[in-house]
Order: sequence, then C-alpha cells, then structure tokens
Amino acid sequence: MFAELSSILNASPDSFTQGEFVLVSDRQSDASFLIHHFLSFYLRGDAVSQRLGVSLAQAKEKGQLVFLEGLKESLSVLIPQDTNTGSKAMDFLRDPAVGLKSLYEFPSSVSSSGSRAEGAEEWGPLVLLVDDLSVLLSLGVSVGAVLDFSHYCRATVCSELQGNVVMLARCDGEEEEGDGDDEGSETLLKGLTHQCSLTLHVQGLPTGFCRDIHGQVEVCWRRRQGDGQSTQKKLFQYKVHDKGASFFAPGTSSAVL
Amino acid sequence: MLTELLQGTDAGGFLIIQDSASYSGRHLLKSFINAALHREEAVHVLGFEVSEEELKDGLIGASIHRLHFHNAYTDPLGWTHNPAFTVHQFCSEGVTQLVKQTSQSKPATLVIDSLSWILRHVGPPAVCKTLQQLRKGGAVRAIIGLLHADMHQRGTVGSVCHMATSVITVAPGMKGDEAVAKITKRSKSGKVMQDEEIFSFKEDFTVVVQNRPSQLGLKQTETEERETDPTANLTFNLRLSDTEREAKEKLALPFVFSKEKKTALLHSGRGSGRILYEPDANDDYDQEDPDDDLDV
Repeated sequence: MFAELSSILNASPDSFTQGEFVLVSDRQSDASFLIHHFLSFYLRGDAVSQRLGVSLAQAKEKGQLVFLEGLKESLSVLIPQDTNTGSKAMDFLRDPAVGLKSLYEFPSSVSSSGSRAEGAEEWGPLVLLVDDLSVLLSLGVSVGAVLDFSHYCRATVCSELQGNVVMLARCDGEEEEGDGDDEGSETLLKGLTHQCSLTLHVQGLPTGFCRDIHGQVEVCWRRRQGDGQSTQKKLFQYKVHDKGASFFAPGTSSAVL
Repeated sequence: MLTELLQGTDAGGFLIIQDSASYSGRHLLKSFINAALHREEAVHVLGFEVSEEELKDGLIGASIHRLHFHNAYTDPLGWTHNPAFTVHQFCSEGVTQLVKQTSQSKPATLVIDSLSWILRHVGPPAVCKTLQQLRKGGAVRAIIGLLHADMHQRGTVGSVCHMATSVITVAPGMKGDEAVAKITKRSKSGKVMQDEEIFSFKEDFTVVVQNRPSQLGLKQTETEERETDPTANLTFNLRLSDTEREAKEKLALPFVFSKEKKTALLHSGRGSGRILYEPDANDDYDQEDPDDDLDV
C-alpha cells in the first residue's frame, strides 16, 4: 500500500468509500503497480497488520484472497486435456456468443459461498480486482461483451453487495479521434470511464523518459463529492522504487527540488 | 436557451443530452428530471446505467413519488432468472405498457439512461423506430435521453440526434465546476436555433447559466464600424482635384489596344520607319480564288 496514494484518495484501510468502481488505466505505460497498491490496501484489516505487511499466500490460505488465473484457465480451455477440472469461468472462449456471463458468475459464487463457511473469519465487503481487462480483448472477446461484464460486476459487487471493484485496462496507441476507426481498447476505455466513479490514468511524461520521475498519474473523481463538484481532476507524478511508489505534485520531485 | 428547455413547454419533444468521457451529462439529466417533477409531471426513468439510489441521490422533495424508476440496471441482459426489465424489451409496446402500468391518465415524461446502452445491444434502426413510435403513440409526452457520443460511430450519433427536437452537447468548461453546453433546437416550424452557454449546478440540481462565453460575444454584439477615410489626416496629399481626375481618366493605358493606338500604328507619323511592300508574284492574292497560288 502506498501511503501517499491513500491520502490522495482520502482513504485508509479502516475507512474507505464503499460501492466504488475504480478504473486503473494506462497508455503506453504500466499501471500494474497501482493494482499492487489496491491489493495490499484492501487486504489489510487493521493497524497491526499494516506494520507487519501483507502476505498474499497467507491471505489465500485463509480464504480472504481468491485467485482466478485467467490465462492459465484459458489455456486449459483452448488445449483440453483429460484431467481438466478447470472452473467454468473461461467457458466464453468456447462459445463467444454466450458472452462473459460465466466469468461474471465466478465472483458472485465466491461471495455467496466463501464467507458463510464455518470457522471462517468475518471479512469486510467484497472487493473484485481485475488484472487486466484488455487481455480479454486479445482473447477475442468483443468490446460490448467486456463492457457488459464490467456493468454486471458493478451492479452486483458495488450496488448490491456494497463492495468495491478495481479494474485495469490498458491502451497501446495514441489517443485518436478516429471516425469509424473502432479501436477496441480505446472504446473499452471510454466505456469503462463512463461507468466508473474514480479513474487513475497512468501515462509516461509528455516530455520523455526520466530517471527520477517514472510518469504521471491523473486521478479523476467522477461522482459527486460533498462540496457539490461533480468532477474533480488532479495530476501527480510518481516514482516507483523497491518498497513502493512515491507520488508528488508535478515539478516537486526530490530530484528537482 | 438552456433555461427555456428546462422549463419544458413543448409536448412531443425529444431531447438528447450528449456527453463524453471527459464530462458526464447525468447531472444535467437529473436537472431535467428535477424540473419535470416540480412541474408536477410523472417521470418514468428507464435506468440501465446507474442504480436507483444513485439516480435519486440529491433529488429530494415531495414530488419524488412521481418518479418511477424501472430497474434495467441489475439485469439488463437477462443473465439471472427474473430480470426486471431487459434491453430487448425496449420496444414501443413494452415501454408503453410499462408507462401505463404506473401512470395516471396524464402522459408522462420518459427519461432514458442511457440511449448508448440500448444502442450497443439493439441496432440504431430499431431504436430510432421505437423512439418515433413512442413520440407518436401518446402514452409519453416527451422523451429525454442521455447519449455518450464517444461510444458510437458518428453516423449512429447523427441518426439518433436527427430525430431529436433539441440536442444539448456538454463539455467541461474552463473553470472547475463550470461546463459548456452547445444547444441546437428545432422548432415545429422548421427553424433551427443554436446557442452556446456556460452553466453550473447548485446543490439542488438547479442550473445556473452564466454569461455567454467571450468568444461568441464579439461576433454578436459588434456593430458595423463606419468606413474611415484613409486619405484623411496625412502629411501628404492623396486626394485628386477635378482636373486631375479628368486627366487621369483620359490617359491611355500602355497595353490596352484602343482605336487610337491602332490608327497610330497603321498610319505612322513622319519621321518614323516606313514599311515598303512590293507584292511578289507568289503573293498574288486573288479574292475570288484563295487557292490560286497553289501549284496543284
């Protein structure tokens, strides 16, 4: 968890907005470090475990973290073997017309079964992290089907279960105003932006490569804040290092000041 | 013009709010809903994109009971076993039935949130047909739809907007909480009016229209400047007196072939070169037979 980012987002592991749909996106950059932030942010329940750090393996054992390895499962669908006991989540690869309904049923089945087990700890609200949606596009799923999937995740996890959803979507190209140029990842990004309540968009610096500043993050709150403003945008620059990442206002990097 | 549209006087109208990823038009949509509720109209919302709580958030007041939210958000595609309203039920019969179920005799205002959701699943021709049937049908007094212009091809956006009586395109403004609205309104007589206004929202979703943007102000309010005389106030004289003007007009220009020039060339004056011409036998030109000199 990056403490600076948590304070930028006005959130702490003890108190964060529920029912939020967070979109993490990048353009010719790598925003997966933000997924690490959200993963450790949501796994930490109290102040004690914050200091001790979070172990993903432990969380998985306790049932707090449920992992669906999409690419591995998709391989088992595409290259079927006899001892195939993979979940039905990736069945859309067999029949594209069905859409991502079976993939959507995976988190809802987890939410209904997991926390009711005997002896299981009381976890907080459900959090769904998707890393990343653009892979679904390369697996041949249409943009419309992915948007339907994200809509259903939002309807179930955010609105019904008051949980949070964090999704990563990536873009390779420059932002274009193509007329009729149905660039899949661009349309997907726009569609997801319309659906979400908070976006974090990672890009390289417009001036080029820098050793001390790895890029910029634009944070955009799309929902109504308390003071009546409907959209609020803030731009930060960041640097990723071993233990985490630091965020600062543009021009205030420690290398510059 | 935005305020006029919010007052919503004309029936049979179809208003489209176009937005993009950089600025959501849902706030403006809520303002329209609010205004309709205050006018004691029944409002039916086909909610595909946001949940009922989120749409009703901020719309407080006694008239909220006139707002009927048809839940197409939880299961628009029928993935669960008992969906409330699916996108495939969007046809004129389905919607009319839905509206008539809960409404009194007065025709209601239909709000669609959003048209983009429907267009993604049902093709543009079917959507346009349904909208047209709903307008003529009589169960619905006016339709307001939200459209994400950047989610569709320009042709799709164009065809749907062509059916609308008013289109408001919203974009972020220069200052934080301001937005710019480009409005196109088609009246029944066929006249098209366009306007651009800067607006912002108050806490209760009422719209505050600011002054027009400064770029437009210059175009409309500037009066014609009188032509200033460039020859006045100079230290030298650029004007012509009458005799000077006459002499100027009399002057033969060098490359204009006028009658005087022609006679001057043909009848050269004394002292200039003369051309002496002795016709040769071969040059004998017989008027009667121009081919006489041909040795055929």
